[in-house]
Amino acid sequence: MRTHLGLVMLCVMSAAGVCSSTSAPESPRQFDCRSREKETFSCWWEPGSDGGLPTEYRLFYEIENFRGVRECPDYVSAGENSCFFDKKHTSFWAEYIMMVVATNALGNASAQFQIPDVMNYVKPDPPVNVTVVVNSSAPSPFLEIRWKSPPNVDVRTGWVTPKYELRVKQNDSKEWKTVDIGAQTFFNFHNVEHGLLYMVQVRCNLDYGKWSEWSNTIFAKIPKHRQLEKYFWIFVFVFSLIPLLTAMYILVLKRKVVKQCLLPPVPGPKIKGVDVHLLKSGQSEDVVNALTGNQNFPPMAAWTEQVEDFLLVSDSDEWLLTDTFASEEKKDIFIIAAGLHLGLEIQCGDSTVDLNTWEKTDDSKEETKSNFLNTEPTNLPIEKQECLSGEEVSIQPNTSYVDIQQRPTLTDYSRVKEVNGDTILILNEEEIPHGSDAVKLKREVSVPDDYSRVKEVNSDVVFLEKGDSADGCCKKKEDHYTDWTNQKPIMPHDSELSKGFCSKMIANGYVDSVPSFSVK
Amino acid sequence: MGAKCSKRAKKTATGPRRRRRRNRLRTCRTDERTMAQRRISGGKLFITAVYLVAMCRAVPVNDLLDRASQRSDKMHSLSTLLTQEMDSHFPPYGRMQMPRPADCHTSILQTPNDKEQALQVSESDLMSLARSLLRGWVDPLAVLSTNAITLPHPAKSSISSKIQELQEHSKSLADGLDILSGKMGPAAQTISFLPYTGGTDLGQDRVTILNKFNFLLSCLRRDSHKIDSFLKVLRCRAAKLQPELC
Repeated sequence: MRTHLGLVMLCVMSAAGVCSSTSAPESPRQFDCRSREKETFSCWWEPGSDGGLPTEYRLFYEIENFRGVRECPDYVSAGENSCFFDKKHTSFWAEYIMMVVATNALGNASAQFQIPDVMNYVKPDPPVNVTVVVNSSAPSPFLEIRWKSPPNVDVRTGWVTPKYELRVKQNDSKEWKTVDIGAQTFFNFHNVEHGLLYMVQVRCNLDYGKWSEWSNTIFAKIPKHRQLEKYFWIFVFVFSLIPLLTAMYILVLKRKVVKQCLLPPVPGPKIKGVDVHLLKSGQSEDVVNALTGNQNFPPMAAWTEQVEDFLLVSDSDEWLLTDTFASEEKKDIFIIAAGLHLGLEIQCGDSTVDLNTWEKTDDSKEETKSNFLNTEPTNLPIEKQECLSGEEVSIQPNTSYVDIQQRPTLTDYSRVKEVNGDTILILNEEEIPHGSDAVKLKREVSVPDDYSRVKEVNSDVVFLEKGDSADGCCKKKEDHYTDWTNQKPIMPHDSELSKGFCSKMIANGYVDSVPSFSVK
Repeated sequence: MGAKCSKRAKKTATGPRRRRRRNRLRTCRTDERTMAQRRISGGKLFITAVYLVAMCRAVPVNDLLDRASQRSDKMHSLSTLLTQEMDSHFPPYGRMQMPRPADCHTSILQTPNDKEQALQVSESDLMSLARSLLRGWVDPLAVLSTNAITLPHPAKSSISSKIQELQEHSKSLADGLDILSGKMGPAAQTISFLPYTGGTDLGQDRVTILNKFNFLLSCLRRDSHKIDSFLKVLRCRAAKLQPELC
């Protein structure tokens, strides 16, 4: 009873267990095959639910053009849930129809798979013996990559022609550089740089089928070419020295040229008509000509005449004088000079001519002129100044300028008394004719020591005056000169030798000429 | 020759039309001259062709086989690309519905199915098989070419260009194999006739057209692979003196 009860209990329990989880198996799914060398192939399936019971899977296949259903020859070699077809059971260019049956205690399930061509499932193993050698001999380094076809592939008979593909990348970067090789088993990869680490991989395919997996990564480091760098920098240094040295050479040895280039001489002003070279080497006349532009100035005498001509300024036509200094504008200037002369004249003559008369109009001037002309012979002897300058200074009373005339030559030899060497002595007892040109040059004469009696000296002629000595004439004159403004001066009787006074006068007289150009 | 020209001229010429007669005479004579030149050049061509043919025999078989295998390799590559391109947009619904590979028009030809079988076949037979397959695809390729232009497929232009290229390669390979077979023996000369009975029209609706097109391309891929494999085996077998090739 107890054993029976135990069995019943077991049965109930087992029944309960079976009812809750066991069932017929599901059909397998996901069928896939692969041929590694184009000689054999294997297929895998994914089993469905086994229904909780041990399930057995079997594969049955049919080949195109071959009659009969065959079963998988090898369930083991390719792993679980697989079927391995060896060379005898492999047919290419033929259709395979596979049927996988799952069986367990409760039932079975099957699925059919079609393989139109096993060739479509050819996927080789990756290439082996991949070697990478760094070649640094060339100007740029490159990688010599070598490999071998997968060992199970028969290349010798030509049944299989693998095609390869390799890829290289730097250790740091993310992008691979892929190269299609073809059927050869070596390649020189040139796109590398010094001092970097590179990774290399190779894969292959058979008859344009599926690509294999990438081979193991091979690392290759390209060394830094220090020697080359050294040479490079030495080269650069030497080449940079050359322009530096040439620059130094130019600066030191050709500094003049450099100076001229960098600091060109400032050009001087150009004057038209001036020849610089002429100035440097030429004579003073040329210089003067150059500077003044070759203006031909007339000689001084002509100049004075011109001066005379130019300065003839007169409103009335009646007043025509040879001497043209009688302009009213210049009156003031000349009055001062003439005044000096006048002082003498006033001393000499007892005319009632005052200074003021000089300031009269032209008409009055004429009158005075006429008056003076009349009174000239008696009252107003023309003072003859003896000047050292050798020029005649005669004062004509009606004009306010100093007439400078050339000293005349001696024409009247009747009065010659005696000739002594170069000098001609003339005794002149009469009064000196007025108007006569009395340019007296006093010269060194071999005459008697007493020069007080010398009336006038005319070049080589010395006029001796009878009578009074003109000893203190100068002094007197000076005295008189100082007093002329206030008093009526005493007229000296005779002409005197005056040197200093003359020179003063003449100097003053010459002063006149200068302001003549500065007409107001 | 000159008589012909003068006769022609006489026929057309009348009294007042002297100028035209002269012109016609001139053109006639120039034509005759060019024809004479052509004959001379043709003769020269013939001589050179004969010489070249004689010289062609000096080209080694290895070299010719190498070139042939390269050509077939290219063909197989193109056909593979075509199927891949077709599959990219072709919705594969139920392969069972598609015609089976046994329905290919070339399946009647008995060919080796594995390596051992292929290695046992003689060179001449291999050559014959290759040539037969090649000849069998001339017509279907033309059909594919005409239908590719109007194919309801997004990559039809690419497909069309590839098919045209295939045709060119096929033609040149056939010519080359004809020359090669002349050196191999009588068995190489026999070509199995593989007629294509599919017709020029692939179908009426889009699905049918695409299906048939795809089926034809798969058949083509299988056959191009066969040709390529056979020729490569031939090449390696002939290059015994040059082991580096194989």
